[in-house]
Amino acid sequence: MEKVYIALAAALAVGLSAVATAWAQSKIGAAGAGTLAEKPELSGTIIILVAIPETMVILGFVVAVSILNM
Amino acid sequence: MIARMVKVEIIGPNEQLMETLALVRELGIFQIEPDITCFVTPDEEEKIRSLNLDEKSVAERIFFEDLKARIDELFACLPQVEVRESYLDPGRVLDSVAATVQQHRVTCGEWCRKREALQKELAELSGYAVFLGALEPLLARLNPKSGLDFIGVTIKDPAALEELMRVLTRLTEGKFEVLTVKAEDGTLIGLITLEQGLAEKVRRTLGDQHVPELTFPATLADLPFPEKIRTLRARIAGVSGEIAAIDRDLTQFALRWGAIYQGVRRWLAERLALHTNMAYLHQTGMCFFIHGWTPAAEVARLRDGLDKRFGGAVIVEEKQILEQDLDLVPVTLRNPPYFRPFELFARLLPLPRYASLDPTPFIAICFPLFFGMILGDAGYGLVLLVLSLVLAQAYRKRNMVRDAAKILFISACYTIVFGIFYGECFGEFGARLLGMEGAFLVERRLAIIPMLYFALSVGMAHVTLGLLLGFVTAVKRKTGREALYKLVSIFVMGCLVVLFLSMTDILPRLLTKPLTVALLFLIPILFFAGGVLAPLELLKTIGNIVSYARIMAIGLASVLLARVANRFAGMTGNIVVGVMLAVVFHTVNIVLGVFSPTIHALRLHYVEFYSKFVLPGGRKFEPLRKE
Repeated sequence: MEKVYIALAAALAVGLSAVATAWAQSKIGAAGAGTLAEKPELSGTIIILVAIPETMVILGFVVAVSILNM
Repeated sequence: MIARMVKVEIIGPNEQLMETLALVRELGIFQIEPDITCFVTPDEEEKIRSLNLDEKSVAERIFFEDLKARIDELFACLPQVEVRESYLDPGRVLDSVAATVQQHRVTCGEWCRKREALQKELAELSGYAVFLGALEPLLARLNPKSGLDFIGVTIKDPAALEELMRVLTRLTEGKFEVLTVKAEDGTLIGLITLEQGLAEKVRRTLGDQHVPELTFPATLADLPFPEKIRTLRARIAGVSGEIAAIDRDLTQFALRWGAIYQGVRRWLAERLALHTNMAYLHQTGMCFFIHGWTPAAEVARLRDGLDKRFGGAVIVEEKQILEQDLDLVPVTLRNPPYFRPFELFARLLPLPRYASLDPTPFIAICFPLFFGMILGDAGYGLVLLVLSLVLAQAYRKRNMVRDAAKILFISACYTIVFGIFYGECFGEFGARLLGMEGAFLVERRLAIIPMLYFALSVGMAHVTLGLLLGFVTAVKRKTGREALYKLVSIFVMGCLVVLFLSMTDILPRLLTKPLTVALLFLIPILFFAGGVLAPLELLKTIGNIVSYARIMAIGLASVLLARVANRFAGMTGNIVVGVMLAVVFHTVNIVLGVFSPTIHALRLHYVEFYSKFVLPGGRKFEPLRKE
């Protein structure tokens, strides 16, 4: 039973952070696409802004790996 | 790296101003600075004034602008044709050109207006061509002298045709015939044949029922139906002929006069560009001053060019760049050939300030490394290598694509090297097939924790490099406190990492105490140098390092996708289907393998690395040069 809880915890760690990242990226991506239509020179800034929330899922993944290796 | 710039003042006698400006523009290495506050002292500022244009210069400028506008108007009417280079000196024929352009503009304008009207008519007539094509075979079957009338209609669908038949039967008591045919655009065209006496009644009813009758121009209204079509066709041919004749005249005109007018237009554009820039110049009673910037490597060329033309009458004086000028100095990047394609990435963000550092060499070294670490597959690397060579060959003349192909080539080489380290070639399957298992340094799929430590170590090294460069930038800008903050941050980060390693028994536990003492000593200095937000910044830096875990995470995803591709292919039990499936899956994986590592490696640079040392907001170096 303990193994199930560990697996569930790891899944939640990566799953919830992935949902959060996806939500944040959807908002930033939509706004970024609108911005690019008017100011294509801001493409570098938009890439950064869209990529920033990915840290959440990466951290979630690291936590999940740590949980599974405890 | 950021090219070293020189603050320059060009001084010469007033009468040679125009010629000097023209030469400076021809050399294309000098950016004029309109704001002279950093070039002259307040005392000197009182003695010089902005260039006052005399009446003759103003009149000349108005004349040039007007003539150019008229030539532009003329060219708007002419077709694009290749013309020879004119041997006439535009400056000498200006008056003649000004006289003839008016007459030519009227002639060509008339042709253009006529052509436009004919084209409009042709477009209208062509609209009927669809119906003409459809109706002609139907009319061929009918006798024109039968005393019958014809009504052409467009029918939306077969159901509408049935409804039409019902209406016609009611109105004509069955004395009608409907022939239908599909037009080229798929519309159903119907030709109703009926007695002349019934035609008007049927037309009215069809109008009420919203069945569109084929309408023709008013000029054809009184003609019988078959005659309408013949006349229409003749008119289309006639209009096309007239347009072709006007096109011929315009082309002949462009070939005859285009070279002269083009030469004059180019000359006028150059003179007007000089006139526009004259607003930024200064003068005293006897001499002019041009203030601006030029790359240090070009100063000798600028000086030689002016000496050669004016024999020492116009001089170039270098001025010292003061600390308060640093934000005004324009920035241009000059990198060695290997680094140059990576300026593409640097250009995606605002330019760094002059007193900052150009990140291009660092991104040129680290980007392919990160790309290779993430993708790390010899097979995929080979595919990307071939793709980059094809791209470079196919788009030799397009600088941006060529640069991207060069970056892809270098990244593909690193991908192959890391693929050999990881023992991967189209996943583990290809590696097994090629006997690459012996080359394993680390099997990424299983060694998740070692790969995580590896990625974090890379992050630590990269962020520390960023902090070191930040220290160098701060020293260059003479901001001592910031330099101290960067330096202390490096030591604190180092202490924290070693402390973590000693607490997890990777390094001896004995180190814990001295490191804690060192941290207790460094943290107050950190507060002093970085202010109250220093701990927050430190936490951000730790977050930046953890962010490098993506090198392992994205890499692991890539390995597992390749494994899935091979597994799926193996599960089919059929060699042909299996190979096809494997090709499809691996292709998808390669596409992802190009985008994902690129975005993530770029992000690691832009967010984690640049934030430590790059000061954005540099002014782009835009020299005065010919278009």
